[in-house]
Amino acid sequence: MNLEEYRTVFAVTSLALMLVAAAPTLSMVVAFPRGVERFSELWVLGPNHMAEGYPFNVRVGEEYRVFVGVGNHMGSSSYYTVYVKFRNPSQPLPEASNSTPSPLPPLYEFRFFIVDGEGWETPLAFTFLEVSRSDDSCFVSQMSINDVVFSVDSPSSWDSENNGFYYQLFFELWLYDVTSRSFQFHDRFVGIWLNMTI
Amino acid sequence: MAALKPVTILLALLVFASTLFVFNTSALSENVATSAIEKAEGLMVSAYEAVLEAERAGANVSGLLARLKVAGEGLAQAHISYRLGDFDDAARSADLCSQIGEEARVEAYELRGLALEEAVQCFRWTMIRSILGVAIAVGASYLGWRIFKRRYFRRVLGMKPEVISSES
Repeated sequence: MNLEEYRTVFAVTSLALMLVAAAPTLSMVVAFPRGVERFSELWVLGPNHMAEGYPFNVRVGEEYRVFVGVGNHMGSSSYYTVYVKFRNPSQPLPEASNSTPSPLPPLYEFRFFIVDGEGWETPLAFTFLEVSRSDDSCFVSQMSINDVVFSVDSPSSWDSENNGFYYQLFFELWLYDVTSRSFQFHDRFVGIWLNMTI
Repeated sequence: MAALKPVTILLALLVFASTLFVFNTSALSENVATSAIEKAEGLMVSAYEAVLEAERAGANVSGLLARLKVAGEGLAQAHISYRLGDFDDAARSADLCSQIGEEARVEAYELRGLALEEAVQCFRWTMIRSILGVAIAVGASYLGWRIFKRRYFRRVLGMKPEVISSES
C-alpha cells in the first residue's frame, strides 16, 4: 500500500469512530421507523379461564360466567371501550372488513386504559331472567349482566338446522382515536352462541 | 255537594301540578346527568391525552393509568345507568369520574414536566459525551496519522538501495 491508500484507511476509520461516538445523540434526534405491527387483542375465555367450557345451553335463572380480555400492542397506552351486545341470528353483527360496528344498542360496557404491551381482563356474569317460549319461537325479555338488569325484548325463531333457539352475546372493541378525538370501532369483536332450548 | 265541587277541582289541579312537577324533575335530572357525563368524558379524554404526553416524555404512567381505570369504571357505570334511566346514579358516577379524571390530568401534566426536564438533562449529557467522543476520535485519528506518517517516511528513507550485479 502507498501513503494515499493508508490515508484513506485512516479517514474511513476515524469517520466510523466519530459515528460511533455520535450515535447516542443521533438516536435521540433521528426517529428510526420501527417495523412493528400495531394491533389490539380481544378475547373471551370460559368460566375456568380457558378457551373451553363456554356457556352454550342456557336456562332461565342460572348464572353463567365468562372472562373478557384485551391486549394492547399499539405502541403507547390506549383508552378502550368494550360494548356488550345481545342479538338474535337475524340481527346484524359488526363488519370488521369495513370497520362498521353493529347498529344494536349496547347493554353493558367497560372503559379502561392499558399500558403498551400489557393486558386487561374482567369477569362477566350473565343471567336470563325472563324468557317465554312457544312451539317455534322464543322471546327473551330480561337478562342481567354483572347484576344489572336490562330489558332485551329479543325474539328468536326455531333453527331447524341446528335444533335450537339461538342468541349471541358479543363484545365489540372500540379505541379512542387522538386524531379524531372520539372512540372508533377497532375492527375487533368476539361472541359466544347461546342455545335457549333447555 | 256544592261545597265538594271546588275541593274536587282543587284536587284535580294538584294532581295535574304534581305530574308536571315530577315530569320537570325527571327532565331536570336527565339534563343534569347528560351534562355530568359530557363533562366527565371531556375530563377523561384530556386526562388521557395528558398521560400520553407524559408517556412520550418518558414518564412512568402505570400508576396514573391505574387511577384512570377507576375513573373509567365510573364513566362506564354512568353510561349504563343513563341508558337504564337512573339519572341520579348516572350523575353521581360521572361526578366521581370527573373528580378522579381532573386529579389524574393535573398529575399527568406535573409528571410530563418532570419527565421533560429529565429528558432535556439526559439529552444534554448525551450530547456532551458525544461531542467529547467525536473530539477524541478526531484527535486520536490525527495524532495516529501523524505518528504513522513519520514512521512510514522513516522506514522509506531508511531503505538502502540494493545494487544488483549483472554478470553480463
